Amino acid sequence: MDLAPIWLSLRVASLATVLTLVAGVPIAWLLARRHFPGRDVVAAALLTPLVLPPTVLGYYLLMLIGRRGPLGRVLAGWNIELAFTWRAAVVAAAVGSIALLIKTVQVGFESIDHRLEQAAQTLGRSDWSIFWTISAPLAWRSILAGTVLAFCRALGDFGITLMVAGDIPGVTQTMPLAIYDHVQANELHSANVLAMVSVAFVVVLMVALGRAARLRY
Amino acid sequence: MLNVAIRKQLEGFTLEAKWATNAPIVALVGPSGAGKTLTLQCIAGLETPDDGDITCAGVTLFDSRRHTNLRPQARRIGYVFQGYALFPHMTVLENIAYGGKRSTAPFSNTPSGKRCRTPFSRGPLFWIDRLGLSPLQSRYPSQLSGGQQQRVALARALATDPDLLLLDEPLSALDAPLRRQLRSELAQTLREWGKAAVLVTHDLAEAYQIADVVVMCEDGKTTGAVAKNDLLWNPSSERVARLIGARNVLSGVIAENGAESVVLNWRGAKLHAARSPTHALDARPGDRLAFFVRPEYVRLIRKDRGTPDPARHGNIFHGHIVGDRDEGTTWVLFLKLDEPGEPSQGTYDLEVEVPKLVYERLNIASDRRWDVSIHPGSVQVLPGH
Repeated sequence: MDLAPIWLSLRVASLATVLTLVAGVPIAWLLARRHFPGRDVVAAALLTPLVLPPTVLGYYLLMLIGRRGPLGRVLAGWNIELAFTWRAAVVAAAVGSIALLIKTVQVGFESIDHRLEQAAQTLGRSDWSIFWTISAPLAWRSILAGTVLAFCRALGDFGITLMVAGDIPGVTQTMPLAIYDHVQANELHSANVLAMVSVAFVVVLMVALGRAARLRY
Repeated sequence: MLNVAIRKQLEGFTLEAKWATNAPIVALVGPSGAGKTLTLQCIAGLETPDDGDITCAGVTLFDSRRHTNLRPQARRIGYVFQGYALFPHMTVLENIAYGGKRSTAPFSNTPSGKRCRTPFSRGPLFWIDRLGLSPLQSRYPSQLSGGQQQRVALARALATDPDLLLLDEPLSALDAPLRRQLRSELAQTLREWGKAAVLVTHDLAEAYQIADVVVMCEDGKTTGAVAKNDLLWNPSSERVARLIGARNVLSGVIAENGAESVVLNWRGAKLHAARSPTHALDARPGDRLAFFVRPEYVRLIRKDRGTPDPARHGNIFHGHIVGDRDEGTTWVLFLKLDEPGEPSQGTYDLEVEVPKLVYERLNIASDRRWDVSIHPGSVQVLPGH
């Protein structure tokens, strides 16, 4: 059987997780620590990926990054094609998982005693330095939990990926899509292997996460 | 010179703090919710007042009219937080060295334009040694006792060589015996350090021992800064008297207003009081005037020594005890005067405090009728509002 979907899924989910970390942690920090106009609206909008049907998300994402979409045309100007490539699968997985990361990390930042950051300010440290020496180290459990959740979610994305990346074997066919195809073709043995690989990944990651959460700083 | 004149509106609370002092150590005293911590946060730049100004040693930290609002990092202010706010993921040494040393002040530039390092300024290692923290350097805050945490917080704030130190209830997290010991230590450390400090506390005794001047806070309002002896022994107004917990805060009508003393009509009798040595009394006969009498200054007249001599005992009153309370080493007696009319404090007129020994010797438990005398010098008039 073809094991390519496993490697593709791992690559897509890893890159998507890096994307969500880089974009999601600063957003979570802003939501937790800065009061700006429209904060509640932004917070609510960022949570919609959790509850919207993946096909709806995928549809809007396709409208955005497709060849005729506003972002797609900009990218086309730089000779970058996104829709129906493995990169689109990365974006799809990131969009599907970023809300989980933001919410988890935001709670982590909010649970830090604000006076610790204030103490660091009175000690003369810059906000950037305070983030790296106080906020991030004290929220590391939440950041780790958010990362693992986001990775697992990215690994399992089906609907958004199907809409924007398609189901092209060897190119954009990730594990969930391959499982679907195998079942359609009545190749239950292959479907079973891939399903068990999926479950194994998630179980191992969740157990590791539980272990890590018991560690001190 | 520290000058604070700020207003800040919060939901259901308005802070209006206005005081200034030249004294090195000032204490903000008042019950919780009085706005003491908020005042400190405004001085440190962690909260922004709606309007007003804050200046410290000639430097404007905040001025709403000139749109000056220095960032906390630029204020050269050390802050010891209530509960200490030590960084839990860092060792004692890392905590104390975290701020580094602010070797240059934004205001101490040399004429040549080069910033100069303050000679002999005291950094993390000095304070670790001075506060006896060397053996604890590699411990984490959770492995320290309350008293040790307090010293780490103090060292961390002082190690950045600030010009002003703010302390928010630095001893309230400790139990009583340790608190007394650390109070003396803290007072000594601050004296040695020698720069300006603001102490927030709800404990007047703590303020009295550590500070030079006291600002009383209540419901977001403050009195001016008052020398601590004046505050306790010569309060300016009825409000301040109540804030410092004075008992027997009463009021009478002025009968005579002489150069040395004031005669008040109180409970159908004449009460002679000394004038306040510092607070002007701008009142005429017929005006109402508040005063207070310290319970321990009301003297019981012993019955075995003949009739009281009005020349020796001023302000003699007759009454009986309607209740008493054992306070360990002293007894508090509630005395109702024989004069007709409403007692001035509900069911009684005067609180009298006597040592337990006197209570037992004079058999006060069963003998309830007493004459008392109040020396005119211990009747403190409260002319202010």
